[in-house]
Amino acid sequence: MNNVIANILRFLILLVVQVSVCQHVCLFGYMSPALFLLALFLLPLELPLSLQYLIGFATGFVVDAFAHTLGVSAFACTLMMFARPYVVHSLNGSNNNKFENIDRPVPGVKDFGWIFLYTLTLTSLYEIVSVMLETMTFRNFMHTLLVIIGNTVITVFVILCIEYIFHPRVKNES
Amino acid sequence: MNNLVEFFKKAFHIIVLAVLLILSIVMLGKSLAFNDYRLSRAVQSIVGPIQKSGMGMVHRFRLGPENESLVKQNIELMREQDNMFMVKDDTLLTVMSETDSLHRTSVRLYDYTYAHVIFKTVDKAFNYMIVDKGLKDGIQRDMAVLSPEGVAGVVTDVSSNFATVRPILHPESRISALVTPANQNGTVIWEGSDPDVAYLEAIPQHSEINIGDSVFTNGFSNIFPKGLFIGTVKEVQVGNNASFLTIKVKLATKYTDVYTVYLVENLFKPEIDSLKANFKDE
Repeated sequence: MNNVIANILRFLILLVVQVSVCQHVCLFGYMSPALFLLALFLLPLELPLSLQYLIGFATGFVVDAFAHTLGVSAFACTLMMFARPYVVHSLNGSNNNKFENIDRPVPGVKDFGWIFLYTLTLTSLYEIVSVMLETMTFRNFMHTLLVIIGNTVITVFVILCIEYIFHPRVKNES
Repeated sequence: MNNLVEFFKKAFHIIVLAVLLILSIVMLGKSLAFNDYRLSRAVQSIVGPIQKSGMGMVHRFRLGPENESLVKQNIELMREQDNMFMVKDDTLLTVMSETDSLHRTSVRLYDYTYAHVIFKTVDKAFNYMIVDKGLKDGIQRDMAVLSPEGVAGVVTDVSSNFATVRPILHPESRISALVTPANQNGTVIWEGSDPDVAYLEAIPQHSEINIGDSVFTNGFSNIFPKGLFIGTVKEVQVGNNASFLTIKVKLATKYTDVYTVYLVENLFKPEIDSLKANFKDE
């Protein structure tokens, strides 16, 4: 129960920060952090898949509503939530099964490399889908690519910083 | 039947996924391809007020720059007012400038700029203000100074970056004025200590002045353009000198609040002054 409230609070805070601050940030003209993804990344993996999709869709919809891009983030978030179990699975590999009962994508449970790859993969997936959907064209593709890379870099950086600042004290392997 | 239920249980999340993806594509497509704005309008009606209050907060921090740009826009508008021009019949002049439908030529007589007050006194017997523009910005002696509400004073001294302004609140300040609707010319002077009140002198006793009448500049001085607001009549008394009225004028300019001032330059002032220098009795 405690966990549920923490998750809801995290969603609320990150969404407010996203629509009030991050959405207006545009470093060098093409770097705009999608901070709210952190809330999705930290969702418990054992939630029912359909609920995860719904949460992703709802989160994306709220972000869309404030950014006047109806459907873009909703689509990208839903797709990202769909890809998330597969990313976790492939990152865990075969030898890491001993963490199965506390399989949470948070620092402390996972090492930095795991967290970094997890964040990078899902963020770049989200950015590729959302930016491509938003531009809807392959014209001026180099600029689109620059936007995708710029957004991904800044988002991953900010999310990793926040994750390690609010490091949850999980007792590791004991 | 059992098979079907089993299938739905297994594939339920796939169905949810498909529905959600299709839903978002439909939302996206409606606004992009079909120009159907009903959904975005509905969303906007909820989101709009939230964003508006948020922007209001952000806006408060940007009031300074916005005020600057409004001041500049004000100057552009003031420069185009009718009393900024000298209109002449074309028969006497062959000035190369635009003519109106009556074949008259208008020549720019006054030009505007602006400055900010960096120091001022209002409660002394000799008050003055210092503004943040000087010779480098084209400020000269005897330029008129206006506040957003009306006449404020005259530039008396200029250094390279700053200028001293003598407001109406100074015993030596004299501004030719016209009180309407009586259409009598007089002089606005200040004596005493009230920063809101000045006196209008030299109005003949027979004129009908009512409380609330407006006092404007009359343009006799070459400093102020014609028709700038000075204040309103507050009190009318029959003075000691039987031939003139003593009129108290409530000044329009709020000297305690003034920050942005506009400075007016008479472009023909040297020419007019050179004529005045030839007056025999002066």
